[in-house]
Amino acid sequence: MNNLKNSTSDLLFVRNAFREYYFKYNDLVETPSRINEREFGFMTFQTGMMRHLSFNNIREVYATLIRNTPSDFYCSNAYYNFPANLMQDKGWKGADLIFDIDAKDLGLPCEVSHRYHLCANCGEIIESTADPCPLCKNSTVRVESIPCSNCFISLRKEIKKLIAILTDEIGVEDDNISVYFSGNSGFHLYVYDACFHHLDSRARSDLVGYILGNGIGPEVIGVRKGANDKVSIKFPKAGFRYGWSMRLARKLRIDQSSSSKLTNFINKLGGYERFSKYIIGYAKEIGIKIDPQVTIDIHRIFRHGGTLNGKSGLSKLRCVDLNKFDPLNDACLLNDTDVQVHVKPSNLKFKLRGRTFTANQKKEKLPTYAAVYLICKGLATTI
Amino acid sequence: MSLKLGTADFAKYPFLNEASKFLTESHLDVDEFNRPEMEYIIDRATIRVEVEMQGKIYKNLERHEVEVLTFLSALMLVKLTNIEQILKKHSLFEALRAEAFLIQDLRTERDEKKKQLLLFEIFKELFKVEVDLDPENAQVFRMKVTDYLVRSSHFHEEGWKIVNKAVHGGYVYLDADEIVRLVRNELGNLIYEKIRAMSLSNVPQPIVQKANYLALKFRPTYENKLPRISDYPPCIKHALDLMSKGENLPHTARLMVATYMLSIGKNIDSIVTLFHPAPDFNEKITRYQVEHLAGLKGGQTRYNVPSCSKLNSEDLCFRTLDCGEITNPLKFRRRPD
Repeated sequence: MNNLKNSTSDLLFVRNAFREYYFKYNDLVETPSRINEREFGFMTFQTGMMRHLSFNNIREVYATLIRNTPSDFYCSNAYYNFPANLMQDKGWKGADLIFDIDAKDLGLPCEVSHRYHLCANCGEIIESTADPCPLCKNSTVRVESIPCSNCFISLRKEIKKLIAILTDEIGVEDDNISVYFSGNSGFHLYVYDACFHHLDSRARSDLVGYILGNGIGPEVIGVRKGANDKVSIKFPKAGFRYGWSMRLARKLRIDQSSSSKLTNFINKLGGYERFSKYIIGYAKEIGIKIDPQVTIDIHRIFRHGGTLNGKSGLSKLRCVDLNKFDPLNDACLLNDTDVQVHVKPSNLKFKLRGRTFTANQKKEKLPTYAAVYLICKGLATTI
Repeated sequence: MSLKLGTADFAKYPFLNEASKFLTESHLDVDEFNRPEMEYIIDRATIRVEVEMQGKIYKNLERHEVEVLTFLSALMLVKLTNIEQILKKHSLFEALRAEAFLIQDLRTERDEKKKQLLLFEIFKELFKVEVDLDPENAQVFRMKVTDYLVRSSHFHEEGWKIVNKAVHGGYVYLDADEIVRLVRNELGNLIYEKIRAMSLSNVPQPIVQKANYLALKFRPTYENKLPRISDYPPCIKHALDLMSKGENLPHTARLMVATYMLSIGKNIDSIVTLFHPAPDFNEKITRYQVEHLAGLKGGQTRYNVPSCSKLNSEDLCFRTLDCGEITNPLKFRRRPD
């Protein structure tokens, strides 16, 4: 856990807050289906990652959380014959399909206003990324962000678009979808439909391509490259009723009788290659901004529902009603005992549990949940 | 289901369970292949295998009794040769033959019920895949998204990516030739497994003689040209190993082998020879592709060997302790001669 490695008092403070959470809210920690077939892992505050753990029931999970008080606790999307063995000997049986949408991938204009650069070595705030750290002269920079309400509005929209594609096009039943706030700056969407369990990385990669709009070509609407950069058009037999062909046909305002209109448009653009770029650009623009690697990885361990995120001190929680779920309120469950901290950045403004905090490079008295939030992000230290 | 497939269908699809019922019902004994009138069938089966070994589809189609018996004879001939490459190639080209018939039938059959029956018998019965007709257009077929992904993800061409297909309500909508192409490998595997599972005893002499003839004619002549595969990195070694057994390597694996061989200085001819055992080997196409990778054709770009992480993501990495921390197969500690 990078942000706490330089301070024992920070580490103890955050760890105690986490331990208290696991005593108080262990009922929030979810029991995964087929628990004895899952691989678990956790990150400690000091020693690093432990993987290849297996539990027979949720009580063993509670005991581990309280005994070890990890900074982060993970559970595999995969089901294994022998989850505690090394990867090659686990015996993969299948995996839930999981999507991750993070605010950093949305390219939001607000991001610049709540982004902070820290020295990756000593944690000092860096004003200009062009210069090395003024304290230790290290030049590796880490970026931390404090997502704002606008970030969550955009994330919610993106998740809804993803749900629409999954249900309307891919055929996932609503009941088989669960959305979780990741505990920091994104959402995880789980598909529990057993039909998808057996898909390998390659098949998941193709599905990811569909969601992102990656790998699309003019062939999707029947445009092929002919001789001398000319195009030949043979509209698909399935028409433009569905999926990406429907989206492109709407954008281009074409139907099955628009062959010459489309030819003119392509010629006007400058031929097949230009048209191909145009389509790729449009697909990238409207594709859902999921993190591809997360979905493709069939051996990944994911932050577990109901546990705390070591990057924020917020809980990863299931959003029963996405419209009503307020991450910065509903997932902020640490205690509110006041504590003195030194806030590093100037003009820091953030909102938690409906309360707006402003701090300015000085000693601040903050409730524990807010202090942990800033300390986890490396933006404050205990005094 | 009151509608049934007819004998003309069994002639084209002799691997169907229904087709083999004819043999059971006619109480055909293996000894009957000793009868002189069976000579025509055995000769036909021999020619069929010979045509396939030349990389071509045997297109001749006769009445179903002849076709079912020829199919069975060919299976016995191939089994008796005991040469893996013949088995693989025969399986592939039988699949291609059936594929051609099926595309034709699905395109031209006007009776929707008959079309559905064909789809049911072949896709559901043989491969446990449900394929329906599009309720709005009987020229279009649909397959569940997951069934599609499992198959299409092994194809390299961008056109097979699901993003380039019409998708709705959990189904992918496809043309006749696309839906049939998707199961080609499975059909090949089905025929392959049928041959492997055959247990032959007291095989009639005319079949043994033809099998010996085929074995002699098509015994691999390229075995001694294959490189010593123990010296290569595990990923290359694995691919070469599969190829030597006549396995049909995915495009990504072929690209890995070809770029690796080019990078270590092998000449085009020797690389083309490497691919000789592939069941779908076509020297002209292979040569063009290798020359393309070498930067001698097309965009004149020389292709690099894919990195270990890329190979890992494509399930082509078979890392061992010998690999150490290498990031590219070319860095494997022991370069072959």
